[in-house]
Amino acid sequence: MMPRAPSIGVAAIVAAALVSVVTFVAPAEAHAQSLYNAAGLGVPLEAVDGRARALGNLGIGLGGGAFMPTDPGALGRLRVSTGIMAAQPTWMDFRTPAGATGSVQGTRFPLLGIAYPILGGMMSVQIGSYLDQNYEVQRTNTVDFGRGPIETADDFRQDGSISNLNLGYARMIGDALSAGITVGRYAGSLDRSLTRTYGDEETTDVDSYVESGTWSYEAWAFTAGVSADLSSRARVAVSVQAPTELDAEGEAETRGSDRTYSLPVQYRAGASVTVSPALVVSASVLLADWSDVQRDLQGAALAGDQNGYGIGVELSRARFFGRTVPLRLGFRETGIPFTFDPDGTERIISGGLGLELATSGDVVLAGVDLAVERGHRFGGGINEKFWRATISLLASGL
Amino acid sequence: MRRRALFVTLSCLAPVVFVACEEQTPVGIGPGPLPGEPVSVEVTIPWSDFASALEVFGGYGSPEDLGQGVIARQFEALLDARSLLRFQEYPDTASVRDSTGTIREDSDLTYVGGRLVLLMDTIASTNGATPVALALGRTTTEWDATTASWDFAVDTINDRRPWGELGGGPALEVDTAVWDPAAGDTVVFQVDSTTIAEWSNPSDLSTGARIELLDPGFRTQFRGATLRLDARPSLRPDTIIELLAFVGDVTFLYTPFPTPPTDGVRIGGAPSWRTILDLAIPEVIDGDPEFCAVVECPHTVVPGEISFAALRLTTRASEAAFQPTDSIRLDVRPVLDRSAMPKSPLGPSLVESDLGRAVPADAFGATPGQEIEIPFTAFARDLLRGFDEDGNPTPGTLALLSVIEPFSISFASFDGPGSGGEPVLTLVLTIGPPVELP
Repeated sequence: MMPRAPSIGVAAIVAAALVSVVTFVAPAEAHAQSLYNAAGLGVPLEAVDGRARALGNLGIGLGGGAFMPTDPGALGRLRVSTGIMAAQPTWMDFRTPAGATGSVQGTRFPLLGIAYPILGGMMSVQIGSYLDQNYEVQRTNTVDFGRGPIETADDFRQDGSISNLNLGYARMIGDALSAGITVGRYAGSLDRSLTRTYGDEETTDVDSYVESGTWSYEAWAFTAGVSADLSSRARVAVSVQAPTELDAEGEAETRGSDRTYSLPVQYRAGASVTVSPALVVSASVLLADWSDVQRDLQGAALAGDQNGYGIGVELSRARFFGRTVPLRLGFRETGIPFTFDPDGTERIISGGLGLELATSGDVVLAGVDLAVERGHRFGGGINEKFWRATISLLASGL
Repeated sequence: MRRRALFVTLSCLAPVVFVACEEQTPVGIGPGPLPGEPVSVEVTIPWSDFASALEVFGGYGSPEDLGQGVIARQFEALLDARSLLRFQEYPDTASVRDSTGTIREDSDLTYVGGRLVLLMDTIASTNGATPVALALGRTTTEWDATTASWDFAVDTINDRRPWGELGGGPALEVDTAVWDPAAGDTVVFQVDSTTIAEWSNPSDLSTGARIELLDPGFRTQFRGATLRLDARPSLRPDTIIELLAFVGDVTFLYTPFPTPPTDGVRIGGAPSWRTILDLAIPEVIDGDPEFCAVVECPHTVVPGEISFAALRLTTRASEAAFQPTDSIRLDVRPVLDRSAMPKSPLGPSLVESDLGRAVPADAFGATPGQEIEIPFTAFARDLLRGFDEDGNPTPGTLALLSVIEPFSISFASFDGPGSGGEPVLTLVLTIGPPVELP
């Protein structure tokens, strides 16, 4: 008697857990993990899973079904209801232009979502990260307003991020082509506060001064993409994401003015080729020119492009303790769109593996993809080196 | 099996996720992303621009509340003060060793005399090292510890009875004693058996001890008193034992009673004085050259810019007879309903220290003219805003008073409006541009 495939029970439990996490954790968990957060609109975050991270992929063109807002076409290749959650701890060492060094760490959840078959295709709801803006900077000084010099410490904090909630639909058109569209709503908030403290409690009774502002972000984004199998061994995919302008509206007591930012159209293309039964090669490119944001920015930040590419290989038939455990290696290089000096760059070498915990036929009912990245960001005198892990949990139900 | 694999795998991966969950934020990229630097500036607001309706009220508390005695004779050629004591019930039993050597309770005690011991306050007394003579007398007129004054033995509603002799008289002389500070801080009076018997009934309101100073030119104070009783027990009639009786009421009478100042601030005394003033934080600052040199004038002040606010007072010498001998501790409280003065309830203290703002005694005597700041920063913000953090309206009247009322017969004095050292408002403003988006 053939062993019975895991019933919907396991997958349903995992999916329910994912939905709970989606509901209660939310992508607001995005936290500061780069000094470049201080520049312009911050550092873009990519809502990609552990497999794409391990392959150095920019979120498009991988084999099988995929669940990333950057690849709507791949959504149509999912055949069963699916839930996904990605967690991403990071450990980073940095050096500032002044030579100061330090370390930070944090965790974010860049991708949460569920997909459900409907109307002959697949409907999805995804929550992903878009921009990370957290940072803090301090300045000390001495002032004398008539009662002797007093040391002051100015502490500026920026606490904010932008996430997107996507509603997508994709379906197969024939056997080789899948097309999808996604409507996304960008939302988030930004708190900026400057706190000046005078001396310490023992030397002065001058209270701290706090000037702050809180803004809410809103924008829409429309993404369309197709994924086509050129042959049984080759797949290509393209997507275009066209956002509206990003409106930042201050809350009632915010003295700072409201603003509107131009967001770039992002073009993505990717391909994967099965070179041999055990070896898959993938490549992807991203074109995203943020330079139009420059006219909307104040201060010293420079807006550039995020263009980049990624390549990777997957040893798809590697086995471990009798199980198929694909091994992945990748490399990617992208621009850092906001810096204090031109030519900010991010380079990452990555590796990882996948674990299929439960399958039914060729459908993965429960799986884990793990990626470990060693990255380097540089430009404008800033130097960051980081380790980043991405763990994505995928659960499907028949 | 697969469920177990799933569970084990997720369990192993979970720590990897959460080990880095202590979120940290990069700090210190440099001056680039900092917003504009705020300006810190101090400005002094004259009385006429922030305050009005200064008024001094007296009569808070009673000398009895002080729990100490004050005695003076022509101190600074002016002040006379006498103290009155009334004792609690005497002990009615004592443990006595009888003729067989057994300790037993004896409830048949005969009081044959005693001693009144005063514990003098060497700091509050003005005689320094000079010995002074004191007299102990026995009151003969009914008196009320709470309302007794130099002129009246009882001064309650619908019952005002003057002394037979001003200042707690007439009194029968009991003993005299000399307090020599070089010899110690106690004074001992011998008390005869008749007086002891008279003082044994605290319900008799005419009984009590009156203590006065015989040497002129000083003001002395005692912190406590104890009546040491000589008792003859019935179990051992050949033996005298000593028992203690404690003070029940203590108060003091003095003359002349100071009149409220017409041009100044008075705080403290017994009964206590309070000074009330209306206050308004200016919404616009203009015309101050130093201020306008660094801030564009006119400048509209917003509550968040007030980093420090204080009332700055200039000390002046109190009337010589009422000058403090120890630090005065000042308090500031909002007056919740000025129209109800002098009986308006007060709000919580605005001074951060529980013991108030201490001012040295010499600021009101030997070295007047000292500037004293009493901060009330949070209150100033609320006053400018019009309401506090709970949304309650902020009263626009302040009371300056002693932290403890009464704290001493002496009081603090400050220059009032129109004088050279009139009260001023000191503000430290931190003024910065609004925080803007990047």
